[in-house]
Amino acid sequence: MPWKERYTISDEKSLADDEIRWPQGARCCVSVTVDLSVAAGPEGIRAADLTTSEAEFGANQGLSALLAVLQRYDLKATFAVPAVLAHIHADRIRALVAQGHEIAAHGFKHEDVSTLERDDERERIARATEILAEVTGRRPEGWFSLPRQGDPFAGGTISPNTMDLLIEASYAYMGNGLADDIPHYWVTDFATRRAILTLPYYYHFDDQFFLMFPRKGTGLEHTDALFRNWKAELDAQYKRGRHFHMTLHPQHVGWCNRLQLLEDFLAHLRGFPGLWNPTGAECARYWLETYPASAYLRLEPSIWRDYPGSLS
Amino acid sequence: MISQLDRDLSELQQAAGAYAARHQLIPDFGYPPEVQIAVNFTLDFDSMLLRRLLNEPPMQLAKGEFGGRVGIWRLIELFDAHRVKATIFTPGRACELYPQALRAAVKSGHEIADHMWEHRVPKDASLEEDHLAKTVSAIEQISGRRPVGTRSGHSAALLRKYGYVYRSEGSADQRPHYVVDESGESCLVHLPFHYVIDDAMFFNFAWLGSENAAQRITDPERVFDIWWAAFRQQYREGGYLNICMHPFVSGRALRVAMLDRLITQMKTLPGVWFPSCEEVARWCLERFPPRAQAA
Repeated sequence: MPWKERYTISDEKSLADDEIRWPQGARCCVSVTVDLSVAAGPEGIRAADLTTSEAEFGANQGLSALLAVLQRYDLKATFAVPAVLAHIHADRIRALVAQGHEIAAHGFKHEDVSTLERDDERERIARATEILAEVTGRRPEGWFSLPRQGDPFAGGTISPNTMDLLIEASYAYMGNGLADDIPHYWVTDFATRRAILTLPYYYHFDDQFFLMFPRKGTGLEHTDALFRNWKAELDAQYKRGRHFHMTLHPQHVGWCNRLQLLEDFLAHLRGFPGLWNPTGAECARYWLETYPASAYLRLEPSIWRDYPGSLS
Repeated sequence: MISQLDRDLSELQQAAGAYAARHQLIPDFGYPPEVQIAVNFTLDFDSMLLRRLLNEPPMQLAKGEFGGRVGIWRLIELFDAHRVKATIFTPGRACELYPQALRAAVKSGHEIADHMWEHRVPKDASLEEDHLAKTVSAIEQISGRRPVGTRSGHSAALLRKYGYVYRSEGSADQRPHYVVDESGESCLVHLPFHYVIDDAMFFNFAWLGSENAAQRITDPERVFDIWWAAFRQQYREGGYLNICMHPFVSGRALRVAMLDRLITQMKTLPGVWFPSCEEVARWCLERFPPRAQAA
């Protein structure tokens, strides 16, 4: 077993709080991901997912309401857009770009790629990239694989090849990783230090797991817990000078009581001086320049060994 | 003629009686005069090992990895700031994955105890011993000391053979107590652990195969209230509290802040002792030694 493959994806220790600097002396980075997917399960977006009143709301009034709130608080977001949705809502996607938000890729149709053959997955990445580039006029710099409400784990699904294929396809960053709460390098090959920058994600800051979760009709509404999680994490990360990140879905957070919750949280957020609010691409660009893997990826020679009778 | 119902009665009575007989409670349990309660902060340092053992997908492994890259360091820092001696239940193989963090914990005076070789107890007895011996040796290499405690289902006879004195599992009594094995031997101090004082039960999505409709995604304030209530109740009784945490769960910034508040609030009361698990076990053995067991 070379290195700690299939155990760890990066170096042994994260950057300490006092090693982290943000542009223009900012105290804390605040990033917002808006997930436009309406996929319910691993098959990705189906016709049945698009032809619901929730999907209709998410693409129209919910999205407009969310955009108005973001604008009121002067926040830029990264929109994770499945290629099929970019194709269907091309005008709305272009309007997001015009407002200064970033459009990142979110799979061809936000499908589970974990068991796909490498060539099949490569082709899907290429096609999704092409569609987004056509709609927005430029290639997406970031790729997301966010979790769906119906997934058994709340981390998003990738295949053993995904990260390597994203590097091959010249993506600057992967939008959702759980191994750290700041940007970090996901290493795909120890010997060559081949790696892709990964931005932090955590399901405790993702609206979809608190709002009528796991599904409308039988799920539970935990707006209070969502608010307290956002607030506690922002307060703590600000104190440490690290990174606060939240994930929003227009069809969930755009609805009246949730919209108010978001407003209340953003009003709290506005009270903090020295926040830096980049899009994913801006954050990645800054990080790659300031903390390049060549100097900051500290891979230790492994002492990991194989033993008979133990996991390899 | 003995009916099936009578046989049931006698079988069940025997089963309950035999199980109860393995437990030796300490009714007069107490502390030195200046101590009102002992609080053990215990870390199950699984990181991604258990996820890997269960063959969970890559993002789950990355979620566990947070515990080694980030969480463990923050918790050590928090405990040091409060002069709390924690106990880190470490799978033996974590010594190969995160040697730096474990060495830092040792340097700060925290206890490194056993949490199985790779978070499982093999059914085959010789492989079980092989795993335990590997863990003992890995922990000894990292900490300079052999572990004396475990959080595992390793056989008590095997644990005694390797010099273990306590196990932190189960909740047969709220206070430390003794448990012997089926043969009435291999007595170990038991430091009770309860799922209600376990961070994963509140924060860890998909824990132990839980369904989405039963998800553990609450917020730190709610857990603070539950744990504080548990502490207050045991404080009044002169009891004991074992707080079980996982660095990949409790090492998140929002929860470290909650723990900081919890420890700070505990310290406002007189007589709160924050020892390692080993210290509590040694105190029991010295002050309330177990009665000799019938062989």
